Amino acid sequence: MGTDPGLVHRRWWTPYLFLAPGLLMVALFSLWPFLNTVVLSFTDARVLSGGHFVGLDNYGRALADPDFWTAARNSVLYLLVVVPCLVLLPLALAVLVQAKVPGIGLFRSAFYTPVIASAVVVGLIWQWVLRSDGLVNTVFQALGVVSEPVPFLTDSTLLLFSAMLVTVWKGLGYYMVFYLAALGNVPASLHEAAALDGAGPLRRFFSITIPQVKPMMLLVGTLSAVSALRVFTEIYILGGESGGPGGGARTLPFLIRQAGLGFAGETGYACAISLLLFLLTLAFSLLGHRLSRGDEE
Amino acid sequence: MTRSPLTRTALATLVAAGLLAASGCGLSGGGAGAEEARRTGEVSGAITFRTLQLKPKFTAYVQGVIDAFEAEHPAVKVKWEDVPGDGYNEKLVADAQAGALPDVVNLSTDSFQLLGDRGMLADVARLDGAVAAEYVPGAWEQFKLPGKGDGVYAYPWYVTPEILTYNKDLLAKAGLDPDRPPTTVEQFFDYAERIAARSGGQYAAFMADPKGRLPGDWQKMGVPLLNAGRDRFAFDTDRAVAWVERMKDLYAKGAMPRESLLKADDINQLYGAGKLVFGPGSPGFVRDIRQNAPQVYARTGVAGAVTGTLGHIGIYAQSLGIRKDTRHPDAAAEFAKWVTNGPNQVEFSRNATIYPSNAKGLADPRFADRGDGQDAETLARAIGAEQLKTADLDANTPVQWTNQVGDAVVREVQRAIQGEQDARTAVRRAQEEANRLLAAGTRR
Repeated sequence: MGTDPGLVHRRWWTPYLFLAPGLLMVALFSLWPFLNTVVLSFTDARVLSGGHFVGLDNYGRALADPDFWTAARNSVLYLLVVVPCLVLLPLALAVLVQAKVPGIGLFRSAFYTPVIASAVVVGLIWQWVLRSDGLVNTVFQALGVVSEPVPFLTDSTLLLFSAMLVTVWKGLGYYMVFYLAALGNVPASLHEAAALDGAGPLRRFFSITIPQVKPMMLLVGTLSAVSALRVFTEIYILGGESGGPGGGARTLPFLIRQAGLGFAGETGYACAISLLLFLLTLAFSLLGHRLSRGDEE
Repeated sequence: MTRSPLTRTALATLVAAGLLAASGCGLSGGGAGAEEARRTGEVSGAITFRTLQLKPKFTAYVQGVIDAFEAEHPAVKVKWEDVPGDGYNEKLVADAQAGALPDVVNLSTDSFQLLGDRGMLADVARLDGAVAAEYVPGAWEQFKLPGKGDGVYAYPWYVTPEILTYNKDLLAKAGLDPDRPPTTVEQFFDYAERIAARSGGQYAAFMADPKGRLPGDWQKMGVPLLNAGRDRFAFDTDRAVAWVERMKDLYAKGAMPRESLLKADDINQLYGAGKLVFGPGSPGFVRDIRQNAPQVYARTGVAGAVTGTLGHIGIYAQSLGIRKDTRHPDAAAEFAKWVTNGPNQVEFSRNATIYPSNAKGLADPRFADRGDGQDAETLARAIGAEQLKTADLDANTPVQWTNQVGDAVVREVQRAIQGEQDARTAVRRAQEEANRLLAAGTRR
């Protein structure tokens, strides 16, 4: 069998030629800004002035700053509450709307609507629902559940949980679509066989559906964890530009914005917090990866 | 032919090192060290003119001004670019970094101060000192910078002074005389207390957001923001503490909507819905309320701005800065002067709720006309213009009060207003944080 002359004359750089446009884009718009962030994080750069190398000063300052720890705690708390909700609730929703009954498309669309709504619009709607003279407080007071309005938006802790509620509400439909795809790939024969063996719907859900969609659950977990660590809009819309009263509901992205924004923005310091957030995100992503690998093994 | 893993690694390292080196280039700032332009007497060349969100509403007006200038100076070509309000300052920052500021640029108070402070704007008093007499004295003085001598770093353009707007019916309901609105900060708080006591939660006096009142209130009350050397914040005083305590007390009594502490509320909406006694202190708001809530407009009263011991009023000023190293200083200066001259500013004020900074413009009869004394918009125009002629206008927030400083102070004050810490601690901590930020800023 003869050798393909095309292979003989192939140059080592041929594959790179095809990859070049994509790599160039990645280098220009992802890698370069990332590397620039790394470099700047070791400087005292400000928005309108170049920086000087200051070693680990910015990192030391961040780690000694109570505001950083409050924001880090808020970010991690956000993740710990939001991720389980976004892994489990969309799955339950997907199972519900998976049924092939007339009009089910309407329900699927309805659950998906918050996904396509702008985060600002969603935030404003929830603001009117949760404010002291809003829908929830009016109903609560009318029913005699509370005598004073619940400070959903003016108490830092409640504000953080209110923002989580909005994130979960907005994410439900998005991840539901993921699960609908995964559920569609579960062989119907498995359910039929289990049904023949006398397994009820609940048993079939835990013994067949869950194991089959587990890889998707891990993916959803990782994606929602990354999103949770990047949350900003919900806090900003519900809690104003201070990030709640006294800034008590600020998350790490909020802190980065505050540190780096405006003419007096401390670019170097904001970059250092960004890198710390990156490391935190990386740690949770690797954890998700490890869990996923452990599952495969 | 294939490359060995070692070669690939070396190649990847080379690319990464190149990118790192390139990213290091981002460290250099631009513009600040540029050579200042000097006039040659030759009004010619192509200049760029950047405005802040004037298209499409004022396209015809601005283009008309440009066309007339070009007809007067055929050797000059003006390229007009208009940038949306959102991200305007960020774009200025990026351009300043890249050394690409326009020759003539529309600056708001904060962008003027920051660019001027960093030496990126030409001293127009040096370029064109004789022109000072054409502007309202207070307006010309606005564009001096602390620590930069007698230099003036922008031509005053249109200005809007602070006024007081209020719902006359609600004021009367609270048992207060609608014809005698408050005139001082302290009296304003007294009125708010009465409103809280009488409203039964149906309406509130004003917004709780401290950012909306600070540092204006402190300046009006004579609280020194900076020390004599202007190198440290010095607002930790009994008066500032008393102000915070008063805000805390009024908030607890319901004088302000609860969510307004976080600036999450829209003041126009609340006022338009008849839930707020005191509206925004801007003449432009009066026109908006006439269009959006005619019933509330009919009940809207207008008066001079609330002041304090110093008699200052707040003023929002737009200016035209000249890029320090512009290649055509004569053309840029002549054009900026043209845009800000009396007739052009008066014409602009017919299209928008603005006031001329130009003395001749402000002397136009339309600014003295009070009509029958009943129409809020006409009254607002006359009252605003009157204040501009007479009030002390140097109540500008100092350049040291940056966004970061403002945010830090507001956060501490918010905690105090909510009762999470006492007023004295809040002011002390606010000053400590403000001084830390100031020190970090001067280390650049």
